[in-house]
Amino acid sequence: MKTKKILIVEDDSILQKTLQEFLSTEGFETTSASDGEKAVELARSGKPDLILLDIILPKKDGYEVIKDLKSDQGTRSIPIILLTNLGSMHDVEKALNLGATTYLVKADYKLEEVVAKIKEVLSIN
Amino acid sequence: MLRRKSRIGKMKKELANIFGDLNIKKQAEDLGVSVWETPSFLFILMGMIIMVVMAVIYFISRHYESPELLIVSESLVVIFIFTVGNVIIRGVENVARINKMKSEFVSIASHQLKTPLTQLNWEIELLLSRYAEGLTKKQLDIIKDVSHSHLRMAKLTNDLLDVARIDQGKMVLLEEKFDLLKLVEDVIQSEKNLAEEHNVKVKVNIPAALPEIKGDKRRTGVVVDNLLSNAIKYTDRQGEVEVSVERKDATVTACIKDNGVGIPKYQQDQVFQKFFRSDNAARYQEEGTGLGLYIAKNIIEQSGGKLWFQSEENIGSTFCLSLPLEPTKAKGKFKI
Repeated sequence: MKTKKILIVEDDSILQKTLQEFLSTEGFETTSASDGEKAVELARSGKPDLILLDIILPKKDGYEVIKDLKSDQGTRSIPIILLTNLGSMHDVEKALNLGATTYLVKADYKLEEVVAKIKEVLSIN
Repeated sequence: MLRRKSRIGKMKKELANIFGDLNIKKQAEDLGVSVWETPSFLFILMGMIIMVVMAVIYFISRHYESPELLIVSESLVVIFIFTVGNVIIRGVENVARINKMKSEFVSIASHQLKTPLTQLNWEIELLLSRYAEGLTKKQLDIIKDVSHSHLRMAKLTNDLLDVARIDQGKMVLLEEKFDLLKLVEDVIQSEKNLAEEHNVKVKVNIPAALPEIKGDKRRTGVVVDNLLSNAIKYTDRQGEVEVSVERKDATVTACIKDNGVGIPKYQQDQVFQKFFRSDNAARYQEEGTGLGLYIAKNIIEQSGGKLWFQSEENIGSTFCLSLPLEPTKAKGKFKI
């Protein structure tokens, strides 16, 4: 089985680092972006199998990132898991309507649960 | 003379009753304003002044047959009523605005706390699951204590955020199908350690199967967990807690009965208030914010169910929740 590539979009450096380390030990290949513009760029050039996306980001927020990726033939089919602490239904609804696959509230999930969700989404795709 | 005295006494009592009902002092304390600024006081003042002015106008108009005077004095009264009314409305608006700001502050602050809490949570998990090798038992114990403190902090943050959401009317519940029995069993499992610590036996009395109910699984779990952990925490040695679930027609009822400290009679009507902790509970356990039951009641009622209890001090408490199999009004639209 080919190693799956995950793009982590997270502006908090500690969260980015822990996610990256945990996913590496789980056998995923990871790249990271700390802002929305870089995220779109890396998604286009790196063709990840899945994107973990925060909503509040510098330069370009998560909504804009989803819009950009979904309107581009090359990145349209990449599944996006929103990983956010914006727990309000309004934010989530907005992101899901734009085409994100699912969402997780960071503070409520352990890393292993995040990994389980990634595997679940990857197996469907 | 005596009769007059008693009449004055009676009048005083009646006045005290009226003022007691309005409870201006309490209102002033609640709103954080002086007695002269409370809406109740201003209303009474306005009423009295209107009556006095009306009487004055009546007497003046009997002495002077001048419609102009009457019109001028009537206008004065109207202007006065508008002014006082305006002061009252502004005062109420102010109080409402301060309340909203307080609520917003709590939700922003607890939201900001979520990032560092997530960092702690993930770092500890990474350490324990990937790099625990070579750590001494002492080091592991310390990390586990840190993890325990983190969980407490995370729970408090979530509670504060929930309270802010309830106060702002922004509590949104998901609608998903879930198995209540499995949820109850999972909660019992997760509180096993607490039960052992408190030396409490947890008996289970649940049917073999139930149809799935529709509602917010995570939040319903929070409620059940709250009731069960309360029952365990406030039960002394040789305690017994019984969890029972039954279905009646289109409703499922879950009850959690304990033989613990109970809630004193005189405090039973305050149980579901924000920050409430009964006197004996506070003596018994220093941990606890008094937010759990307030949140629980709001979640269950918003799910179309009911939450109630029976309790006797030193005998024990029984808390029950009932939920409809199908929620009556649509809330969330998510099936995740």
